Amino acid sequence: MLLEYFKAKSLLDKYGIRSVESRYVSSAEDAVKFSRGNKIVLKVISEKQLHKSKAGLVKLGLEEEDEIKRAYKELEAKAKRIAPYKIIAQKMAGSGIEAIIGGREDPQFGKMILIGLGGIYVEAFKDFALRTCPITEYDASEMLDQLKSRQVMTYNGESSAMLTALLLRISRMLKENPSIKELDLNPVILRKDGYDVVDIRVLE
Amino acid sequence: MTKRDLTPLFKPKNVAIIGASADPGKVGHIILLNYLNEGYPGKIYLVNKNTAPILGRKVYGSVLEIKERLDSVVIAIPAAAVPEVLEECGKAKVRSVVLVSGGFSEVGNVELQDQITAMAKKYDIALVGPNCLGIMNPRSRVNTLFLPAYKLSKPRIGGVSFIAQSGAVGSVILDLIEGEGFGLSKFVSYGNAADVDEVDLMEYLMNDDETNVIVMYTEGIKRGKAFLELARKITKAKPVVILKAGRTEAGASAAHSHTAALAGSYESHEAVFKQFGFTIANDLTDLLYYAKIFESEKAPQGNRIAIITNGGGAGVLTTDAISSSKYLRLAELSEASKKALSKTMPLLVNIRNPLDLAGDAGDKRYHDALYPIINDPNVDMVIVIILFQTPGADSKLAAEIIGLKEIMAKPMITIATGTQYTEMHKVMMESSGLPVYDSPRAAAMALEALFRYYAYKNHKE
Repeated sequence: MLLEYFKAKSLLDKYGIRSVESRYVSSAEDAVKFSRGNKIVLKVISEKQLHKSKAGLVKLGLEEEDEIKRAYKELEAKAKRIAPYKIIAQKMAGSGIEAIIGGREDPQFGKMILIGLGGIYVEAFKDFALRTCPITEYDASEMLDQLKSRQVMTYNGESSAMLTALLLRISRMLKENPSIKELDLNPVILRKDGYDVVDIRVLE
Repeated sequence: MTKRDLTPLFKPKNVAIIGASADPGKVGHIILLNYLNEGYPGKIYLVNKNTAPILGRKVYGSVLEIKERLDSVVIAIPAAAVPEVLEECGKAKVRSVVLVSGGFSEVGNVELQDQITAMAKKYDIALVGPNCLGIMNPRSRVNTLFLPAYKLSKPRIGGVSFIAQSGAVGSVILDLIEGEGFGLSKFVSYGNAADVDEVDLMEYLMNDDETNVIVMYTEGIKRGKAFLELARKITKAKPVVILKAGRTEAGASAAHSHTAALAGSYESHEAVFKQFGFTIANDLTDLLYYAKIFESEKAPQGNRIAIITNGGGAGVLTTDAISSSKYLRLAELSEASKKALSKTMPLLVNIRNPLDLAGDAGDKRYHDALYPIINDPNVDMVIVIILFQTPGADSKLAAEIIGLKEIMAKPMITIATGTQYTEMHKVMMESSGLPVYDSPRAAAMALEALFRYYAYKNHKE
C-alpha cells in the first residue's frame, strides 16, 4: 500500500529530512494561489500509476498563471482514467544533480538502503550502492566511493558530509519503522549548498 | 545464535563408516580406502547389515554394537534407510555425522530431509549433508570425499579452508588449489545443509587456529540474520573470500519501486559481503588468486606499488593494470633508493618506477635493485616481474628472489608468464611461499584485494 504523500512527508520531517514545500490543490485557481508567482510543479498522485514522469503525469517549471491553469486542466483530464487521484503542487526545487535514495525489506538481510544516480538515469545506468541497515558513517562514505557518478554527485568535502549525514538519517528511519517495505526518494536534488527531496514514495 | 562445537567432525578420535563395502565401485568402499590411505590414526569401525569381513576387517551390524562412544560417523547408504540408521546413531550418542547420500530435498524429498533435521536436533548430532562430499582435514587425516584419488591432485597442508554447498565446484577447487601452490586447512562440501550450514561452518573456521583464510562458494545465504551477526565479527578475525552464484536470478521484476527493481537478491548478498569486508570473487579463477594472496601476504602499510621487471613491455602492462585500479597507485621511489640504484645499476637502466632491469638481468642485478626497496618508506608493496624467457633469468634468479622474500616485510609477489621452464620456477617459488601470478591483471586484482581487506579490517568506527 502506498502511504499517503503527506503522511510520508511528515515521517521524513520527523527525521529531519528536508522535502520541498507541497500541498494538494483542488482546482486550477488553487494551484495559481499556491504558486504566488513562484515556479511550481504539478503532479498526479494515484496508486494505479507509480511511474509518474513516464506516464506524463508531471508538469515542471510552471510560472505564468495561464501556464499553470492549462497544465492543471491537462493533468486532470489524463488522471480521470486512473481515479481515485489527487493533484499535488510543489515549489520547484533549484537545479542540481538528481540522486535516488531508497530502501527495501530484503527477505534474508532485512532493511537495505540504496543511493544512486537518480531521476531518469536510474534504470539506464544502474549506478547505485547498497548496504544493510543500520549503516555506520564508514559504510555511508564507502557507499559514495563505490558510485561511478560520485564525482558529479558530491561537489566537495562539505557536500559529501551532508550526503553521508542524510544517508545515516534515512537508515535510522528505515530501521525504526518496520512497516516500510519499500522507499523511493527520487529524485533528491543535490546542490552545492544543500538538497531537496522532490518525490517521496513509501510502500507499506 | 548458539555456538556449535564441530570439533568431532573435523578432529574425530574414531570413525564408523555405515555402508562400508567390499565392492570397489561403491561409495562406502572409496571412503574406507580414503581413511586407510590417508593413515587416519584413530579407530575405524565398519558397519553394514551384511557383516561379512571387508579387507579382513570386522564388520558390525549396527553402531549400537560398538562399545566405544563415536566421535564421527559417515553414512553412505540409500536415502530410504537413513532414518533407521540415524535413530541408532542417536541412541548410541554419536557426536557427529557426515551424510553423503543423496535423495533428499534436492530431488524434492523435503519430508525425508525434515525428518533427518529433526533427528539431528533431537539427539544433538552435528550433521553435515545430505547430498554432499563431506569433510577433508589433511591434518587429522579425515577424508569422506568419495572421489577416486587418481582423478585429482591433492593440495599440501596449509591455512586455507574452503566451504561449498556444491560438491562438484568443491572438487574442482580442490584439484586447482594444488596448481596454485598454496595449502589446504579444511575442506567442506555441505550439500543440502539439513543441520550444519554455512553459518555454523564459518563460525567454526573463524575460531580455528589452523585456518588463516576462509574461502566459500554459495548459492545463497539461508539464515540471513545469523549470517549478519557473524559477518560483523568474522572479517575482523581473518579474510573471507566469497563466490556467490546466481547473479541473473529474476524476482525483482514485480517490484513497485525503483529501489526494489535495482536491489534484488544477488545485489543484497553482494552489498552485505561488501559492507562487512568480504572479498568478492567473480569466478573460480579469481577465488584462487585471492586465496593465494591472503594465505601468503600480511597487511600492507599502504597502496603504493613498486614494479621491477626484466621486460619493458611487461612493465608497462603491469603499470596499466595498477593504474586502472581505483585503490592502488605507483610508488615514487625515495631519494635514498634512487641514489643507491644509480650506483649499482648499469647505464641502460632508467632509475624510475617501473624499474626495467633489461633482458640480460640476472640474480645480481635483481638483488641490487630490490635491496634498496626493502627499506624504502615510499613503497608499500612490490611486484617482481620475471620473464624466464630472457637470457639472464634462471634458477639462480628464482632462488635469489626467494631469499629476498624472506627478509622483505612488505607484501611481495611475482608475475611470471610462460610454459614449461616458467612453470618449473613457479613451483619452486610458490612452494617457498612466494606467490606467482600469470598476468598483470591477476597481480593487480590480488594486491587490490589485499589492500582493501586490511583497510576495512583496520578502519576506525
